[in-house]
Amino acid sequence: MSLNHSLKLEIPFQTAAQANIAKQVLLPDPILKPQDFQVDYTTTDNVLVVGFQSIDDRVLRVGVSSVIDSIKTIVETIDELGPETKELQSL
Amino acid sequence: MLHPTATYSLPDIEPTRFVVNPAEARFQTTDGKTTGASPHVLNAGQVDRDKPSEPRRTATGEMTPLGQLRANLTGLQDDINEFLTHRMELAKGKKD
Repeated sequence: MSLNHSLKLEIPFQTAAQANIAKQVLLPDPILKPQDFQVDYTTTDNVLVVGFQSIDDRVLRVGVSSVIDSIKTIVETIDELGPETKELQSL
Repeated sequence: MLHPTATYSLPDIEPTRFVVNPAEARFQTTDGKTTGASPHVLNAGQVDRDKPSEPRRTATGEMTPLGQLRANLTGLQDDINEFLTHRMELAKGKKD
Protein backbone atom coordinates (compact mmCIF):
# COMPACT_ATOMS: atom_id res chain seq x y z
CA MET A 1 0.00 0.00 0.00
CA SER A 2 1.22 3.50 -0.74
CA LEU A 3 1.52 6.36 1.72
CA ASN A 4 -1.10 8.46 -0.04
CA HIS A 5 -2.99 9.79 3.00
CA SER A 6 -1.24 13.01 3.93
CA LEU A 7 -1.57 15.95 6.26
CA LYS A 8 0.49 19.13 6.40
CA LEU A 9 0.64 21.04 9.66
CA GLU A 10 1.99 24.61 9.80
CA ILE A 11 2.74 26.09 13.21
CA PRO A 12 3.88 29.72 13.54
CA PHE A 13 6.13 30.38 16.54
CA GLN A 14 7.17 33.77 17.90
CA THR A 15 10.66 33.43 16.44
CA ALA A 16 12.61 31.30 13.96
CA ALA A 17 14.77 30.11 16.87
CA GLN A 18 11.74 28.64 18.66
CA ALA A 19 10.57 26.88 15.47
CA ASN A 20 14.05 25.45 15.03
CA ILE A 21 14.20 24.26 18.65
CA ALA A 22 10.89 22.45 18.14
CA LYS A 23 12.21 20.78 14.99
CA GLN A 24 15.42 19.67 16.70
CA VAL A 25 13.46 18.21 19.64
CA LEU A 26 11.07 16.30 17.36
CA LEU A 27 13.66 14.94 14.89
CA PRO A 28 15.11 12.17 17.12
CA ASP A 29 11.70 10.54 17.70
CA PRO A 30 11.85 7.18 15.90
CA ILE A 31 9.04 6.11 13.56
CA LEU A 32 8.11 2.58 14.58
CA LYS A 33 6.66 1.45 11.23
CA PRO A 34 8.19 3.61 8.48
CA GLN A 35 6.51 1.42 5.87
CA ASP A 36 3.13 2.59 7.23
CA PHE A 37 3.79 6.14 8.41
CA GLN A 38 6.36 8.85 7.79
CA VAL A 39 6.92 12.35 9.14
CA ASP A 40 9.20 15.15 7.97
CA TYR A 41 9.97 18.40 9.76
CA THR A 42 11.08 21.63 8.12
CA THR A 43 11.12 25.28 9.11
CA THR A 44 10.46 28.40 7.05
CA ASP A 45 11.41 31.44 9.12
CA ASN A 46 9.31 31.19 12.30
CA VAL A 47 6.97 28.47 10.94
CA LEU A 48 7.43 24.79 11.75
CA VAL A 49 6.05 22.68 8.90
CA VAL A 50 5.26 19.04 9.65
CA GLY A 51 4.39 16.69 6.79
CA PHE A 52 2.71 13.35 7.52
CA GLN A 53 2.22 10.48 5.06
CA SER A 54 0.34 7.33 5.93
CA ILE A 55 -1.18 4.17 4.48
CA ASP A 56 -4.65 4.96 5.90
CA ASP A 57 -6.68 7.36 8.05
CA ARG A 58 -6.38 5.24 11.22
CA VAL A 59 -2.59 5.25 11.24
CA LEU A 60 -2.58 8.93 10.26
CA ARG A 61 -4.88 9.84 13.18
CA VAL A 62 -2.68 8.05 15.75
CA GLY A 63 0.54 9.53 14.36
CA VAL A 64 -0.70 13.10 13.90
CA SER A 65 -2.29 13.28 17.36
CA SER A 66 0.88 11.90 18.96
CA VAL A 67 3.10 14.48 17.23
CA ILE A 68 0.72 17.33 18.14
CA ASP A 69 0.87 16.16 21.78
CA SER A 70 4.68 16.37 21.58
CA ILE A 71 4.53 19.84 19.99
CA LYS A 72 2.20 21.08 22.74
CA THR A 73 4.68 19.85 25.35
CA ILE A 74 7.53 21.64 23.54
CA VAL A 75 5.47 24.86 23.33
CA GLU A 76 4.63 24.66 27.04
CA THR A 77 8.29 24.08 27.93
CA ILE A 78 9.48 27.06 25.89
CA ASP A 79 6.70 29.18 27.43
CA GLU A 80 7.69 28.21 30.98
CA LEU A 81 11.47 28.21 30.64
CA GLY A 82 12.31 30.34 27.58
CA PRO A 83 12.85 34.09 27.37
CA GLU A 84 9.86 36.34 28.06
CA THR A 85 8.04 37.85 25.08
CA LYS A 86 9.42 41.32 25.74
CA GLU A 87 12.94 39.90 25.82
CA LEU A 88 12.31 38.14 22.48
CA GLN A 89 11.27 41.43 20.91
CA SER A 90 14.66 42.92 21.74
CA LEU A 91 16.61 40.02 20.22
CA MET B 1 1.25 35.66 16.24
CA LEU B 2 -0.54 33.80 13.43
CA HIS B 3 -2.61 30.67 14.02
CA PRO B 4 -1.61 27.10 13.16
CA THR B 5 -3.29 25.46 10.15
CA ALA B 6 -3.49 21.96 8.71
CA THR B 7 -4.39 20.50 5.32
CA TYR B 8 -5.49 16.91 4.74
CA SER B 9 -5.12 15.51 1.25
CA LEU B 10 -5.71 12.28 -0.58
CA PRO B 11 -5.41 11.68 -4.32
CA ASP B 12 -8.65 12.30 -6.24
CA ILE B 13 -10.41 14.24 -3.48
CA GLU B 14 -10.51 17.94 -2.68
CA PRO B 15 -8.04 18.84 0.14
CA THR B 16 -9.60 19.62 3.54
CA ARG B 17 -8.20 22.62 5.37
CA PHE B 18 -8.36 23.08 9.14
CA VAL B 19 -8.14 26.60 10.54
CA VAL B 20 -8.38 28.19 13.97
CA ASN B 21 -11.33 30.39 14.88
CA PRO B 22 -10.10 32.23 18.00
CA ALA B 23 -13.69 33.20 18.92
CA GLU B 24 -14.65 29.56 19.52
CA ALA B 25 -14.21 28.09 23.00
CA ARG B 26 -12.37 24.98 21.83
CA PHE B 27 -9.48 27.18 20.65
CA GLN B 28 -9.23 28.84 24.08
CA THR B 29 -8.52 25.78 26.21
CA THR B 30 -5.72 23.23 26.60
CA ASP B 31 -8.23 20.57 27.71
CA GLY B 32 -9.15 18.85 24.47
CA LYS B 33 -12.23 16.73 23.77
CA THR B 34 -10.43 13.94 21.92
CA THR B 35 -7.37 13.68 24.16
CA GLY B 36 -6.95 12.59 27.76
CA ALA B 37 -8.99 10.13 29.78
CA SER B 38 -12.35 8.99 28.37
CA PRO B 39 -15.62 10.05 30.06
CA HIS B 40 -16.21 6.35 30.85
CA VAL B 41 -13.00 6.21 32.91
CA LEU B 42 -13.66 9.56 34.62
CA ASN B 43 -17.27 8.59 35.46
CA ALA B 44 -15.90 5.46 37.12
CA GLY B 45 -14.13 7.73 39.62
CA GLN B 46 -10.60 7.78 38.20
CA VAL B 47 -8.61 11.01 38.54
CA ASP B 48 -6.91 12.25 35.36
CA ARG B 49 -3.39 12.89 36.65
CA ASP B 50 -2.12 13.64 33.13
CA LYS B 51 -4.59 16.45 32.53
CA PRO B 52 -2.84 19.29 30.70
CA SER B 53 -2.00 22.44 32.64
CA GLU B 54 -3.92 25.63 31.94
CA PRO B 55 -2.39 27.94 29.32
CA ARG B 56 0.11 30.35 30.84
CA ARG B 57 -1.22 33.85 31.40
CA THR B 58 0.30 37.30 31.86
CA ALA B 59 -0.16 39.43 34.98
CA THR B 60 -3.22 40.98 33.32
CA GLY B 61 -4.83 37.58 32.81
CA GLU B 62 -4.31 37.30 29.06
CA MET B 63 -2.85 34.13 27.60
CA THR B 64 0.79 34.41 26.63
CA PRO B 65 1.38 34.04 22.87
CA LEU B 66 2.70 30.50 23.40
CA GLY B 67 -0.20 29.69 25.76
CA GLN B 68 -2.52 30.83 22.97
CA LEU B 69 -0.64 28.65 20.48
CA ARG B 70 -1.01 25.61 22.75
CA ALA B 71 -4.77 26.25 23.07
CA ASN B 72 -5.07 26.73 19.29
CA LEU B 73 -3.24 23.45 18.71
CA THR B 74 -5.61 21.67 21.11
CA GLY B 75 -8.67 22.80 19.14
CA LEU B 76 -7.00 21.99 15.82
CA GLN B 77 -6.05 18.53 17.16
CA ASP B 78 -9.70 17.91 18.12
CA ASP B 79 -10.91 18.94 14.66
CA ILE B 80 -8.37 16.68 12.93
CA ASN B 81 -9.12 13.74 15.24
CA GLU B 82 -12.89 14.06 14.72
CA PHE B 83 -12.48 14.38 10.95
CA LEU B 84 -10.22 11.32 10.68
CA THR B 85 -12.41 9.29 13.07
CA HIS B 86 -15.41 10.08 10.86
CA ARG B 87 -13.48 8.95 7.78
CA MET B 88 -12.46 5.73 9.58
CA GLU B 89 -16.12 5.02 10.38
CA LEU B 90 -17.07 5.60 6.74
CA ALA B 91 -14.32 3.23 5.59
CA LYS B 92 -15.46 0.62 8.14
CA GLY B 93 -19.05 0.94 6.89
CA LYS B 94 -17.89 0.24 3.35
CA LYS B 95 -16.12 -2.95 4.47
CA ASP B 96 -19.10 -4.30 6.52
